[in-house]
Amino acid sequence: MKTVKLIDIAAARSGDKNNICNIGVLAYNKEAYQLLKTHLTAELVKQHFGSLIQGKVVRYEWDAIESLNFVCFEALDGGASRSLRIDSLGKNFSSHLLRLEFNIT
Amino acid sequence: MKNKKIRIAGTQGFYGDSPMGAIMVALENAADYLMHDALAELTLSILQKDKLKDPKLGYARDIELHAAKLYPICLANKLKIVSNSGGLNPHSAAQKVKSILAKKGINNVKIAAIDGDDLLPELEHLKQQNLPLLNLDNGTDYRDSEYAATHANVYLGAQCIKDALQQGAQIILAGRVADPCLALGILAYEFDWDLESKAQESLDKMAQGIMIGHILECGGQASGGNAYSEWKQRAYSFAHLGYPIATVDQDGTAIISKLKEAGGKVSRNTIREQLVYEIHNPQEYITPDVTVDFSAIEVEEIAENEVRVKGAKGRLRPEQLKLCIGQMEGYMTEQLFYFSWPYAYQKAQAFVEAAQETWAALPFQYEALRINYLGINGIHESAAPSMTEKQIEALNEVGVRMAFRHQKAADGKRLIQSIVCLGLNGPPGMTASMNWGKAASLRLGLFPTLIPRDYVTINITIY
Repeated sequence: MKTVKLIDIAAARSGDKNNICNIGVLAYNKEAYQLLKTHLTAELVKQHFGSLIQGKVVRYEWDAIESLNFVCFEALDGGASRSLRIDSLGKNFSSHLLRLEFNIT
Repeated sequence: MKNKKIRIAGTQGFYGDSPMGAIMVALENAADYLMHDALAELTLSILQKDKLKDPKLGYARDIELHAAKLYPICLANKLKIVSNSGGLNPHSAAQKVKSILAKKGINNVKIAAIDGDDLLPELEHLKQQNLPLLNLDNGTDYRDSEYAATHANVYLGAQCIKDALQQGAQIILAGRVADPCLALGILAYEFDWDLESKAQESLDKMAQGIMIGHILECGGQASGGNAYSEWKQRAYSFAHLGYPIATVDQDGTAIISKLKEAGGKVSRNTIREQLVYEIHNPQEYITPDVTVDFSAIEVEEIAENEVRVKGAKGRLRPEQLKLCIGQMEGYMTEQLFYFSWPYAYQKAQAFVEAAQETWAALPFQYEALRINYLGINGIHESAAPSMTEKQIEALNEVGVRMAFRHQKAADGKRLIQSIVCLGLNGPPGMTASMNWGKAASLRLGLFPTLIPRDYVTINITIY
């Protein structure tokens, strides 16, 4: 078993649409993309953020650019205009996701 | 002309962006059009605050600097500017630009104001109609909302941009035209694309136009800014970043580049990062003009700082348009305090405990309170990894950040003032940010919904 650190195999960028935050995860190569497709599930992402994401997480696969897109609902404390968070626009959801690690066999 | 190519530079990503990227492109004559997206979701709320203070305001005020320093260069070099900088007051914006240019002796210029997106005056009437205005996020009906509206704008498509260019506009100051549609409007005008066509070939070209607009709409975010993918190997400067420039063919294929002399970088990575930004389903990117499927796109680095993008597919546009209503929900106040080693975190916690006891005794209450310990759980809150006692003990300093939601404007200041005494009465060494007790911010909530197209009448006025 080996532990893979997301930060070593992918980049991420996140942003807001009112109370929805999306996190795009870009694999650095095709092998990394296959690992992400297998291991980086919507459930894992939701779990990693805990109560920061109140709603569901939907994952989209984007093979053409070796990327996954996670759409996180009810994730921004009501949206930037009413949020009490420092990261009101969710720009650092990308940073937090990059901390994630998963095991492969 | 068979081999005609059109160059569009994305030189404004938000209200307040630097004008330097645009000025560099204009001086070098490196584009035919500057595309300026001044409006984020929140911007219209900010502009509404301006307009309430002065009915002549309500537009993105960086056009005043642009009119003085940028537009004269553009006009001399025959670059056109296509923007949604008109915000909530496109007519006033156009008149302001006209007068600034006139003072510089530039009179022979056509400036287009585009409006019709602003439904605030009709909102009460709309609420009386038998028309559900359901919140796209949570399904509630706007007709049940108890809050006063501050703005209500429909996201417009590209047709008005094409029409204004056909009327000879050199500077376009539109209201809430959807960000990527600014680029599509330019391309539809230049290449005579029919935006009403339902033919697959036309839909695919429109989809390409939207993809190009999406890449350009955030300016420097496509050319090396805010990019984790380039962080480790970064050899470029963030200062004087070169903004992205799309060189587009008749069929919609584009090469994204930047000025060679400027900072930043255009790579397959930077373009991929912008492509994923603020989108949901990549097979169904909904815009007023066309629904875009990005799943078969090709993004290829063909030379240093040159990336070719093609292959976006179009489907029919939606029946309805997005309407974003801003509403006055109350106020917010934020304040920072700091504690140093030794016992930094314990002192911060003792301070917060005393503050909460103090607030509990006040004759009024806040609606919500958020406490963050900077250096520990400021940005990621409950999701931040826990730290060991030893790590916490070793912290040089800890900040306490508190943020409130409250109903009355004055309550924010009263909450903060009630605990400032802890500087003398509380844990050793408390220090606060300089602007303590500043005025509360308006809390303007967004209510996104949909509205049938026939409720919207678009007007183009040439000044």
